[in-house]
Amino acid sequence: MFFPKEMTEIELIVPSKDLLAVTKVLSGYGVFHQTDSSYPGVASGSANTWQEQAALYATLERRIQLVMQALGVDEGQPPSSDFEAMVEVEKIRPLVEQLEEEVKKISDELTDQRKRLEQLESTLHQLEPVEDIDLDISSLRDSRYMFSVLGLIPSANVDRLQTSLARVPHVFLILRSDPGKPVVWLAGTKANADVLERAARSAYLDPLSLPSDYQGTPANIITSIRNTIESTQSRIEELKATLARLADERRQQLRDLLWQAHTSRVLADAIVRFGQLRHTYVITGWVPADDLEELNRRLKQASREILIETLPTSRSGQNQNVPVALTNNRFLRPFQMLVNTYARPRYGEIDPTILIAFTFPILFGAMFGDIGQGLVLALLGWLMSSGRILKSMSSLGGLIAICGVSATLFGFLYGSIFGFEGHLVEEYLGFKLEPLWISPIHEILPILIVAIDAGIILLTLGFLLSIFNLWRSRDWPHLVFGHNGIVGFVLYWSLLGLLGSSLGESPISPKLAVAAGSSLPSVVFTGLAIISGVAIMFSEVFRNLMEGHRPLIEGGIGTYAIQAPMELFETVISFLSNTLSYVRVGAFAVAHGGLSLAIFSLAGTQPDLGFWITILIGNIFIVGFEGLIVGIQTMRLHYYEFLGKFFTGGGMRFEPLALTPAKEEG
Amino acid sequence: MSKSGVSGYAAISARVRAMYSSLLSPQDFARLSDAPDFPTLITQLKHTAYGPYLENLKDRELTPQKLDLAIKGRLADSYHSVIQMAPEHARPLLKQLYRYFEVQNLKAVLRGIVTDPSWERVRDVLFPMGSMTVLPAQAMLEAGSVGAAIELLQGTMYYETLSFAMKRYSSEQNLFPLEVALDLYYWRQLWHEAKRLQGQDREQALRLIGSLMDVNNLMWVIRYRVYHQLSEEEVINYTLPFGYRVRDEDVRAIAAGADLVTVVERVFPGIPNVDTLLEEPRHGLPQLEILLKRHIMNQCLAAFTGNPFHIGVPLAFLILSDLEIQDLTVLIEAKSSQMSAEEYLPYLLRSVAA
Repeated sequence: MFFPKEMTEIELIVPSKDLLAVTKVLSGYGVFHQTDSSYPGVASGSANTWQEQAALYATLERRIQLVMQALGVDEGQPPSSDFEAMVEVEKIRPLVEQLEEEVKKISDELTDQRKRLEQLESTLHQLEPVEDIDLDISSLRDSRYMFSVLGLIPSANVDRLQTSLARVPHVFLILRSDPGKPVVWLAGTKANADVLERAARSAYLDPLSLPSDYQGTPANIITSIRNTIESTQSRIEELKATLARLADERRQQLRDLLWQAHTSRVLADAIVRFGQLRHTYVITGWVPADDLEELNRRLKQASREILIETLPTSRSGQNQNVPVALTNNRFLRPFQMLVNTYARPRYGEIDPTILIAFTFPILFGAMFGDIGQGLVLALLGWLMSSGRILKSMSSLGGLIAICGVSATLFGFLYGSIFGFEGHLVEEYLGFKLEPLWISPIHEILPILIVAIDAGIILLTLGFLLSIFNLWRSRDWPHLVFGHNGIVGFVLYWSLLGLLGSSLGESPISPKLAVAAGSSLPSVVFTGLAIISGVAIMFSEVFRNLMEGHRPLIEGGIGTYAIQAPMELFETVISFLSNTLSYVRVGAFAVAHGGLSLAIFSLAGTQPDLGFWITILIGNIFIVGFEGLIVGIQTMRLHYYEFLGKFFTGGGMRFEPLALTPAKEEG
Repeated sequence: MSKSGVSGYAAISARVRAMYSSLLSPQDFARLSDAPDFPTLITQLKHTAYGPYLENLKDRELTPQKLDLAIKGRLADSYHSVIQMAPEHARPLLKQLYRYFEVQNLKAVLRGIVTDPSWERVRDVLFPMGSMTVLPAQAMLEAGSVGAAIELLQGTMYYETLSFAMKRYSSEQNLFPLEVALDLYYWRQLWHEAKRLQGQDREQALRLIGSLMDVNNLMWVIRYRVYHQLSEEEVINYTLPFGYRVRDEDVRAIAAGADLVTVVERVFPGIPNVDTLLEEPRHGLPQLEILLKRHIMNQCLAAFTGNPFHIGVPLAFLILSDLEIQDLTVLIEAKSSQMSAEEYLPYLLRSVAA
């Protein structure tokens, strides 16, 4: 739960005769993430043949899909596991060709007829605006002194065409103002025909193209076109009925063929990436350790002579090539989404999801503590996650529900229900509600200090996790000298200790800083701060020394002399800003109470209908607006201050081989 | 509910700033530029934020083209991440900006159909858009003809534009009208989306998007005149009448044969040596384009100062990421063909300390 699933690297040596059976097991079980094993030293003898096979299956699959598309047949359900996983190309190709032939003839004619209909309708559309003109259309076409063009133009080009002809005498009329394709008429003298023709062409003016057999006035032509449209439409209906009949007859056959081609293609694609020796194949990849035993059993069932070598992968060290499968359950999924939006954990790196699942609701609840509003949020979240409302945001629903529950618990601690606090609860709601811990609006300074202490705890946790991650990845230079490594941590706590000892037990002192300050003499903190400060200042040099990287200083001594103190300054400033950032947790808790007070002052004191309507609207506003802002602030605190301390991310997604699309997504 | 200002941009602003800090620093870039050869460049790149995108590629597979494609994966991820986190009202503009790569992919597929319809070759030049594309690229390529490929785009936003332009392709058998129509459509839509925003979002978007359009429009109009020798009315029809600094009068003036230097100096008074660059436009144009892109880069950097709660920050980050990739592409080409620093440095948008 704290780490991605443990993975085992697996290498298989498979006799050629068992290749298909083994590949089917690997693809069918859905736990094997394949890596390319056609590395140098392993011949990829028949890789080209398999590549050709894969291409042939892919082509067949697409051809079948096209036929199904033409017939309106869907893919149906994936077949059961005992179907024939790989079929020979020659076995299904004739069937596909036969089906194609049956469908193609009808489908091609249907396409032609539809195009014809579209063309006729377009011509009709262009002619209708000039229906009343009592003029033979061919006389415009064959005019001796006038250049003219009648046609459609993309509406976005109309202005541009007119601009381009600003210096040429012409007539431009929009005969029909269709939003997409206006019908226009452009005319000018024959002497300017070249310019007009170039302008029309470059504005994509599509001239009306009337077949030569359309003669006479526009009205005559329109009547003739309408008759042709009618006969074309009835032919289209006939063809559609034929296709529907064919679809009913061939539905199952097409689905079977599609799945056969699909699974064969998936298997061939996988085999292309196997390495081939003389009589054997080398297959490499990754399997979750928990599934290894069952996979081994299935593989041995498929091939008695298979050699299986497994290399358990340590979570320590650099593991950037290991795929990452996350283990989080349904409850943690909303938080997983938050983490993945930031980055996918790397293998060996702590998956911060479970931590976020605690810290996110706690910080949210602390900022939004109210029993009533929290319950409303929880209810809204539950309705969303169960798909009853805002179905498209169901993944967010779980998060909102949990945050709502946390806000409710903090509501008890703060003694707040729908904004009513203290005597107001008894006065208007008729029962007593005392804060179990603190009332933020009445104890502003203590709540702000508590927030800073919470920030110190979270940042310390961030430092410790960073140190742990760096230790596991064996990144010793950053472990010791990194800003989020040991010296960074020592500097942070030395500064806190110094702060605590200088402030003493004053109301503005963070309790943790005071506790640290009183635990050791301040001279110790001063010494530690100087040592760690110097280490941070020259961290680049120390890291380069440890890594054996030369030159020790990039860009010259002069530049470095300016850069090094700035490095320390920036680090100290970031510690300060990171810690003070958490003040907002307390500030929002106070603001929440303040906002409620503002609503009460608007509502007045008499508990009449107006009072309750104002309270209702105010609560809706707080739940919607403040809830959103608090959510964003909580996210910001996590992304900016907390995760940035220890979490790198950038892991590779675990994508197991799978025969059916449903499994591919898993 | 549409959110803007602090509530809408708090999360994305924080995230973008975190991503912004992972762009290559001047030191990173100097190190990459100092790489003596292509393999060293790959090694150096693996130590940057591009490292994870090169992990799955074996060194022997890393041709300049493959490397270029792999690093673009990071830009694609940045777009996905930014679009996902952007407030609802800002997404259409960001998505449209991202479609630039889809339009380039579409052009690449159409060129592939005409020149070499091999999927393996075309695939290697397509920007990795992931799930955010409507192009059935492989099916289009396998459709066999430009017309059939365009038919496969029915239902997409490109279909109407292309079906208009298709009439010209059929008669001229030249992809130029299709490509110009796509470009015009893309930039018009982008401008339209920018203008739909309000307040500071609109102001920032018009400034950044308008600056991008300025460079494109100016380059188009000069190229149409210098390289293609198109007539005035064609130049006007193939360009856009809007932008941030470039106005329609400027486009029309160049189209009508006005002095290029005068117009460019009037529009971009800060660009140095325009007269020298345009003395021989065929040689000077690439340098002018680089100077204009540097101007865009500075505008993007400026978006990170002041109030961060507007669309300017994510837009600027995405444009800067793209410009960074353009610089890396220059480095990749330069190192793989063993060019000296003097030869390639003028083509970089960033200045690299020698």
